[in-house]
Amino acid sequence: MTALKLFAWLTLLAPLAGTIAIALVGRRLPGRGAGYLGTAALALSFAGAVGALIALQGLHEEERQVVAVAWDYANTVGVDAKLALLVDPLSVFMILVVSGVSTLIHLYSVSYMAGDEGYVRFFAYLNYFVFSMLLLVLAGNFLVLIVGWAFVGAASYLLISFWYRRETATRAGIKAFVINVVGDVGLVLGTFFIFKHVGTLDFLGTFTKAKEAFPPGDADLTAGCILLLVGACAKSAQIPLHTWLPDAMEGPTPVSALIHAATMVTAGVYLIARMHPLFELAPTAADVGAIIGCVTLLVAGTIAIAVTDLKRVIAYSTMSQIGYMFMAVSAGAYAAGMFHLMTHAFFKALLFMAAGSLIAAMAGQQGLDKMGGFKRALPFTYGCFVIGGLALAGVPPFSGFFSKDEILLLIGDRGGWYWILYVAGYVGAFLTGVYTFRMIFRAFFGEPVPEARELEQGHRHHAEAHTNPATGEVEDTDVGFPGPEHHIAEREPSMKLAMSVLALLAIVGGFLQIPKVTHVIDHFLEPTFHDSALYAREPSDGMLTFGLALGTVVAISSIALAYYVWVLNPGLSARVRARLAALYTLFVNKWFFDELIDALVVRPSRWFGSFAQQTFERVVVNGVLVGGTSGVVRAGSSAVRAAQTGFLRYYAALVVLGMVVVAFYFLASA
Amino acid sequence: MTLHLSILLFAPLAFGVAGMLVAPAIASRVALVGSLLTAAYAIAFLVDFNSSSGILQYVTDDTWIAELGIHYKLGLDGLNLFLVVLTAILWFACTLWAIGRNYDKPRLFFFHLGLAETAVLGALLAQDLALFVVFFDLMLVPFFFLTGIWGGARRVQATIKLVIYTLVGSLLMLTAAVATGVLAAAGPADLSFAFSDLAQRQLSTSSQEWIFLFFAAAFLVKMPAFPLHGWMPDGYRNMPLPALALFSAVLSKVAAYGFLRICLPLFPDATSHFQTLMLLLALASILYGSAMAFTTTEARLILGYSSVAQLGFITLGIFALNAQGAQGAILQSFNHGLVVAPAFFVVALLAERAGGSEDIRDMGGIAMRAPALATMFLVVTFATLAMPGSSNFVGEFLILLGVFKSKLAIAIVASTGVVLASVYALRIFIATMHNRAGARVESRELSLRDGLVVVPLVLAIIAIALYPQFALKRSEATVAGNASQPGIALEAAP
Repeated sequence: MTALKLFAWLTLLAPLAGTIAIALVGRRLPGRGAGYLGTAALALSFAGAVGALIALQGLHEEERQVVAVAWDYANTVGVDAKLALLVDPLSVFMILVVSGVSTLIHLYSVSYMAGDEGYVRFFAYLNYFVFSMLLLVLAGNFLVLIVGWAFVGAASYLLISFWYRRETATRAGIKAFVINVVGDVGLVLGTFFIFKHVGTLDFLGTFTKAKEAFPPGDADLTAGCILLLVGACAKSAQIPLHTWLPDAMEGPTPVSALIHAATMVTAGVYLIARMHPLFELAPTAADVGAIIGCVTLLVAGTIAIAVTDLKRVIAYSTMSQIGYMFMAVSAGAYAAGMFHLMTHAFFKALLFMAAGSLIAAMAGQQGLDKMGGFKRALPFTYGCFVIGGLALAGVPPFSGFFSKDEILLLIGDRGGWYWILYVAGYVGAFLTGVYTFRMIFRAFFGEPVPEARELEQGHRHHAEAHTNPATGEVEDTDVGFPGPEHHIAEREPSMKLAMSVLALLAIVGGFLQIPKVTHVIDHFLEPTFHDSALYAREPSDGMLTFGLALGTVVAISSIALAYYVWVLNPGLSARVRARLAALYTLFVNKWFFDELIDALVVRPSRWFGSFAQQTFERVVVNGVLVGGTSGVVRAGSSAVRAAQTGFLRYYAALVVLGMVVVAFYFLASA
Repeated sequence: MTLHLSILLFAPLAFGVAGMLVAPAIASRVALVGSLLTAAYAIAFLVDFNSSSGILQYVTDDTWIAELGIHYKLGLDGLNLFLVVLTAILWFACTLWAIGRNYDKPRLFFFHLGLAETAVLGALLAQDLALFVVFFDLMLVPFFFLTGIWGGARRVQATIKLVIYTLVGSLLMLTAAVATGVLAAAGPADLSFAFSDLAQRQLSTSSQEWIFLFFAAAFLVKMPAFPLHGWMPDGYRNMPLPALALFSAVLSKVAAYGFLRICLPLFPDATSHFQTLMLLLALASILYGSAMAFTTTEARLILGYSSVAQLGFITLGIFALNAQGAQGAILQSFNHGLVVAPAFFVVALLAERAGGSEDIRDMGGIAMRAPALATMFLVVTFATLAMPGSSNFVGEFLILLGVFKSKLAIAIVASTGVVLASVYALRIFIATMHNRAGARVESRELSLRDGLVVVPLVLAIIAIALYPQFALKRSEATVAGNASQPGIALEAAP
């Protein structure tokens, strides 16, 4: 048991040590030294995770839930937070995926980021990010979980606004951070609702006491679980807290791979799986989670068909795939959800890496409109893209096929209204195939663009002046973006190695769990979910066969449709777009979620701020409350002045505000 | 009976006076030695403090004015221990900072700095209501001079506003304090102002209520809390930086501490009667302070209004009236002081790099050439917005938990303040460190001299973030002990 704890601490602390080492000495290392140091730290972390796996399997099944405590963190007046890790099959599963895929992403970045002025800083942040994510999944109580949760948010903020002289990047960073803080607050309040009844923050203690503390369908527990879902949605980019994710594409491409594939966005899925004893006692909250996942998977799928920015297509695809996982873990298909989380980490990281290679060949341009015919210029990248695409679309025997179909199978098996989710899942699968292969056909097929031709002749395209693709503004290259060199997978062994490993995993990853043949993940996760009534259900053979056949047909027909539209009939998509203008407007504007949030949240708070600033502070605080009569005189005059600048509007608002405050007073004191 | 607290209390003043007697060139060094010794002494208390005891330690109790029942009584417990340490540490940091900045008339400057430290320590250590009032009012005097002599362009107006506001508060408090002693006493011979005596003699509910309001007014002005912060913008704009950092970091906490030390134990009926009112004022401070902080462009005022919001959280914790809220408030008082002082230093350093402008629109983009400064500010920013993982978060967590248990609706509205904090804190970080460099910005790295002031404070922030239990366990016994004392019934842990 001690070995297990040691391995867990090693896994967690190696990236932190990497961050500190890179921050302190990174600048003095020659060449790509910081990159190799960061990668080595991650490799050590992965080795620790493997060690933890071996040590864990050496224990009896009942003993496979080990708590490792470092010290008291906030252990006072009834709060019992220690700095504790919970090592069990679920957390070991997560640290394996996170540290493994992150190691490959680091390896890829060693070359991809070479030449960037911020090279050293990049690896310090990247290591910190992985540390945060490992802390999140290893947390043994709510407080440590929230700490890891917020660290991930902070690290993603730093990475998204990595090229911080771009205003688009700093804006995307603050957006991601603030939405994530909304999630943190949800998590904190959810914790309060649960803590109020169980009196402990410790996970295992909470789960043990939950059954006595909460009668079935308890309102406080439902509220608590829904608030936990707020946190999960913010981190996993589920509707309506998803708008930060496409903007997060401002970060360097390996960041997108890290955030969108292996780590951050899967945190919400992990959270629901971790909290399964609570969600099973609060079925309403679980249903809410499943519906959110279902809506997200459809909405994101439709957006992915319409947008033309390569990375954003993959980002919306991520949202959509996370929707499947949300549905799975909310509906009790825990192992299937975690399985899909793993396969998705493989093929989505692969797709992002391939996209990075392609974008580098385009000298930083990301628009699909400008790409085409790269098949011969970038054969390796193309191969990886196709493997990733087939896995994403769920074509057998690629990994995504097994994991996605298992989710839908188990959801269908629950019966009742879940058949809506079941059908929606297949509709989403069809959309997935279409947008994935739209991307592939547009970028790699057809007439080669000038950039592709240059590559075929052995040159690489370099733009004269680097511009921000979002604004067209000329970049301030002081901070590094974009580096003078572009690195494509074809020419960089480390990028090629990382992508090859992921491509292999994307192909064979699904074999861990072939229906009726292998049950590796089911068995491995069993000890975590031993108390679950929903775990390890066996759907009927008929459903199984039907599901697998349907999945195959959907995947292949969707690719065929994409082929028909974007390869055989190049003009067709424009005609369809013209015919369905309203729908297209809805999709390409991302269902207007940004505008909605802007109108409901951002503008009112700005308005409140300027009201406080320009009217209240001037008239009430400085005018009326400062110094007697002279104050009154001044207030009068400033009121007159303010009347010309919309003062009356503010005055009316002041009256309303006063009434609200009074009403609130009586409500709160009642 | 020991002398230790008296030595701690008067050392800064003694060194200030000594500085007046030596040549101007070395006055600053005398002050530095004085503040260093005081800080070391305070840390020695931290180490020696018996954290399992909930009662006053190192008590000094002498009759000062026998006829009026006023005692010279000092003591240390979980409520004031960390504020005393904070005061001593930050005074040292500010003295170090001031030495590098060559203020005019150094002897006088450092004398006022020393006097101010003694006044603050006195208010924190006093265990007698009259003594508290004396020191509390004395605090104003050195700050009046520090602002009036070494302040910014509009220092006269700023000083007048500050004095009017705080004087009104002080007069109310004086009246209330006298009334407390007199009304509580059975007869003239029985008069006593010692907290321990007053806590045994409860006033009638109606007297408690007006006295509570008088005290509250004085404390809320000092914090400052919405809507009594009218002196703050001008005051903050014009204070010399060391005075500003101390005012925001320490003096505001004395006010919060006053609620815990005086109002809750002495006026329990009034406290529970006005609980909702105080919570709503705190809530208004959070929302209003945050809204102001994310709209104003003056760097000092962003920090100033953010302090209004943070003090709102502390007040919220105090008036949750349970053990979690109180623990959170005590921890958060320490945290906020430890964070806001380096924040003001960084803002001053940024202004020096932006051609003297303190407007964030004139700053920007210096992180590339000044990575160490940017890193320091990043840590401070994350702590300011109480990111989980910082000790500030633990404080806020306990505060919100406390309020959650007593008034659910208020806790939920207050939690939006956490989101707003992330907006204004990141806004100032991005505007100063990221985006394109301002026209007059000159990117210079943190100098060694300024590093000596800022880096240790940031390291302290990181240390307490890793182990907040260090602070919590030292205040726990006192907070838990208050639950069994007469006076305010702090609800015990679940």
